[in-house]
Amino acid sequence: MKLTTKQLTLCAVLTAMALALSYLENLFPLALAIPIPGVKLGLANIVTVFALYALGPAQALMILTARCLLGAMFAGNANALLFSLLGGFAAMLAMILLVRLERFSVYGVSIGGAAAHNCGQMAAAVLTLGSAAPLYYLPVLLAVSLAAGALTGLVAGSLFQALEHTNLRKLI
Amino acid sequence: MRSSPKPRPNGWDALVVLVVLALAAGSALAVWGGGRTAAGPGTVVVTIGGQEVDRFPPEALLDSPRTYSGNGYTLELEYGLRGGGDPPLNHQAPSLEAGVQVAWADCPTRDCVRTGLITQRGQSIVCLPAGAIIRLTGTGAEDFGGVDAVVG
Repeated sequence: MKLTTKQLTLCAVLTAMALALSYLENLFPLALAIPIPGVKLGLANIVTVFALYALGPAQALMILTARCLLGAMFAGNANALLFSLLGGFAAMLAMILLVRLERFSVYGVSIGGAAAHNCGQMAAAVLTLGSAAPLYYLPVLLAVSLAAGALTGLVAGSLFQALEHTNLRKLI
Repeated sequence: MRSSPKPRPNGWDALVVLVVLALAAGSALAVWGGGRTAAGPGTVVVTIGGQEVDRFPPEALLDSPRTYSGNGYTLELEYGLRGGGDPPLNHQAPSLEAGVQVAWADCPTRDCVRTGLITQRGQSIVCLPAGAIIRLTGTGAEDFGGVDAVVG
């Protein structure tokens, strides 16, 4: 995959934004309201959705992988890498499929991605702990993914609507 | 743009919502249903790193809380009553719903502490950083080879 300098720069900027959003969502500790491991807003997924539509699946996957690797490195937690990667790849797979079908809006894609992300992280938890006990939390996580996915869809949809009135879409 | 995004929700999104709801309902039936969350606390099983490290009735925590460590993190289990309150002094099962909870933990997220009290068989508390699972299971007596009858 050959990238132009502009595409590479855009990927780097989006990776940095995704990392920043990952840390920003710690300011909104959803876990205080819903005390389940893995519950979060998933704000970084806004960047993933944007990249998927704007740049395509290959570059979106590259941004996702870089974000997961750097996030684990900065957090100093190698265990978190498995959760990030499995959740991220599951979400990416679901969103690529939903985008390819060309039926769903950004909302549907985001919700599907959020649900798949939680399923991927649940798989990571089962693998890590060697027990199916974490599956006890899956129903609540899936229910929360509806709200979290709708929120990221709202932000991503607003972003694309704003871009319609600029020349940025042509530049991308 | 590689793909044309549809920034406004449409009817097809309801299909995604329905699928997610169906998955949530199905997993709830599979994990919570089937009589697994039967009445009564049963037996506490503590697993760390996939290995069972302890098994005891919840009342054993009335003597003293128990501490477990995994991956460099420590958590303490204690006896708990629904609605708070002090545990009974006579070590007999109280009238209020009783179970176990994580009193404190030094893991970064402390989700295990925020999970609160578990009182029904099938429920569990998970501490991912420590790799610990505290699960309520079984019926209690037979797990300890309790004597069911004396003959002779």
